[in-house]
Amino acid sequence: MEKFDAIVVGAGPAGCAAAYTMAKAGLTVLVLERGKYTGAKNMWGGAFFGPVMGEIFPEFRKEAPVERFINRHIISFMTKEDCLSIDFKSYHGDEGSSPGFIMLRAKFDRWMSTKVEQAGAILATGLEVTDFIFDGSRVAGVKVGTEEFPGNVVILTDGANSLLAKKAGLRDDYKAPDLKQGVKEIIKLPREVIEDRFGVSGSEGVVMEFVGACTKGLPGGGFIYTNQESLSVGVVVQLSALLENNVKASDLIEDFKEHPSVRPLIRNGETVEYSAHLIPVSGVAMMPRLYSGGILVAGDAAAMVLGTGLILEGANLAMAAGIAAGNTVIGAKALNDFSALALSQYESLLKESFVMKDLQTFRRAPHFLENPRIYNDYPEWTCAMMRGIFNSTGKARRNILEVVKESMKGKIGLMQLVGDTLKARKAI
Amino acid sequence: MEIIVCIKPVLDPDLPPAKFTVDGKKNEVIPPEGVPFVMSPYDALAVEAALRIKEAQGGKITVLTQGTKYAEEIMRKALAMGADEGVILSDPAFEDSDGFGTAHVLAQTVKKIGKFDLILCGRQAADWDAGVVGSLIAEYLNIPVVIRAKSIEVLDGVLKIERISTNGSEVFELGLPALVTLSSEMGQVRIPSGWGIISAAKKQVPKWGATDIGTDPSQTGAAAAVNRLVKLYVPVYERKCEMVTGKDPAEAAARLTEKILAIKP
Repeated sequence: MEKFDAIVVGAGPAGCAAAYTMAKAGLTVLVLERGKYTGAKNMWGGAFFGPVMGEIFPEFRKEAPVERFINRHIISFMTKEDCLSIDFKSYHGDEGSSPGFIMLRAKFDRWMSTKVEQAGAILATGLEVTDFIFDGSRVAGVKVGTEEFPGNVVILTDGANSLLAKKAGLRDDYKAPDLKQGVKEIIKLPREVIEDRFGVSGSEGVVMEFVGACTKGLPGGGFIYTNQESLSVGVVVQLSALLENNVKASDLIEDFKEHPSVRPLIRNGETVEYSAHLIPVSGVAMMPRLYSGGILVAGDAAAMVLGTGLILEGANLAMAAGIAAGNTVIGAKALNDFSALALSQYESLLKESFVMKDLQTFRRAPHFLENPRIYNDYPEWTCAMMRGIFNSTGKARRNILEVVKESMKGKIGLMQLVGDTLKARKAI
Repeated sequence: MEIIVCIKPVLDPDLPPAKFTVDGKKNEVIPPEGVPFVMSPYDALAVEAALRIKEAQGGKITVLTQGTKYAEEIMRKALAMGADEGVILSDPAFEDSDGFGTAHVLAQTVKKIGKFDLILCGRQAADWDAGVVGSLIAEYLNIPVVIRAKSIEVLDGVLKIERISTNGSEVFELGLPALVTLSSEMGQVRIPSGWGIISAAKKQVPKWGATDIGTDPSQTGAAAAVNRLVKLYVPVYERKCEMVTGKDPAEAAARLTEKILAIKP
């Protein structure tokens, strides 16, 4: 039976980056994907910030199925009736040079996996890895049902809640606070309508993030991204908060779509796709062991997601980790040593890269973002303040400081505000 | 036993209608991006039938498909299921051929291969449902054809075929070479094994063009099409709901009966 240099489990950003790196270097690579085709099972919000992408696929800006390049970010605090937004537009250089872009997974994954096949890796879809082949304690390949596939190294990139990482003894069970649930709808609208409603033209795109009532005050947020001819609309909520409050993410997205500041943006649109996904959000605190004899783990499967409240970034880290995993295996192959010691190079590479540096810098962010005041009191307060400023009652106006004080009354104590600001400074 | 199987990529019939749109001006289906076409399910039955015959008595299976965007993908699928070889027929001259043109291309390919005992096709493609290509290939090659087969057996060089008819089924016996089209009553199609997919990925699949198989340019392409697509559209079904009530079930039933009788066919 043929033995592969590397077997990659899961053809998402991490897996494809790893497979591409290794296949380019001439290694024999098998990629096993459980979806009927690549992209069939995968999901992300849609906004992607990725210099890493340019590193591995220099031609991606021309070739990849980019929906729109992001040149406008809108961050909003919302209550049930109000919405206070910060709208940031940026017109540096031509639109194609924007560091952020919006893509749809079905198209993107197909493009990326074609690249992987062209590089010489074998991609087999519709196959779900169920177990490992062990040689003593060392992983020596994978099993798909009764079929066995021997390999020198297995790279696990099978996404959030990787049961295989557990089976390989790399991690324990996750706890509900470690995970967020994302639900998303793709809402079809004509291109001109999107351009008019969101003030963009050509390949410009908008990313909107919402905090507050969109999650009924639970830790998380809402988002709207502009695709070419559709919108990605969704909410991301902490799983434990959903369970404790007996709330369904699917209900939250319905309410979000009905919010007075969201409804006009999606009016007359047709929902053509609905998807849900788990996101590991506790960063380094929940990270599994990243390597063992004959096995490496990367991407969502290794909880490589950076959430700072303002950004939620996963695919970028996943691809960087995939490249590091690929390079580690290339090095191991040269020495024909696939032991845990040889593969520990992977962790060293990650520590040198932005992946571990960012996760380390923002290691306090996951705990900070559990603070319920961010999702309840602060949106209520800031919106009340704006109402106070713009309200006209026929009586004499008060100065702004008084309005601010008035709006804080009964909602937020000054000490709390100072405390949370200090915590924010440390965490994010 | 030399078996040739013809397969075609189609938009996945399992896709919900919301996933694709129809361009009424160009008379074209606009498929969803990123979702690959699949082997027409009837054609997959033909591959399965070929594999069963090969398993029973040995032989070689060659798969043919016309070179559209997803030809390579469905060819790999057929090879992964267990077919031995494949040829993709690819030439700008073949594009936009109708069933007659396609049958001409396939018949010419069979002639070029030369040696064959049995040709298998799906009863019809799951996109246009015309169901003419199989019969036309047989016509062009001047061999007997049985369509809508439920089962095929080969005994001492004689084909025994049970075919679906309007009122049940009919059993035919015929000599080789012959062409048979397969119907869904044949049963389940196998799922390729992992190693099947791997060995298929490594196989070379040659592409043959018009000059390789000697097609007649006047018989292929849009200009040669006998059929012309006049209008392509998604039918709109209107449903109206009317609640029929009454003081008791008997009265409600009586009113309902009246309403039904009032409907003019």
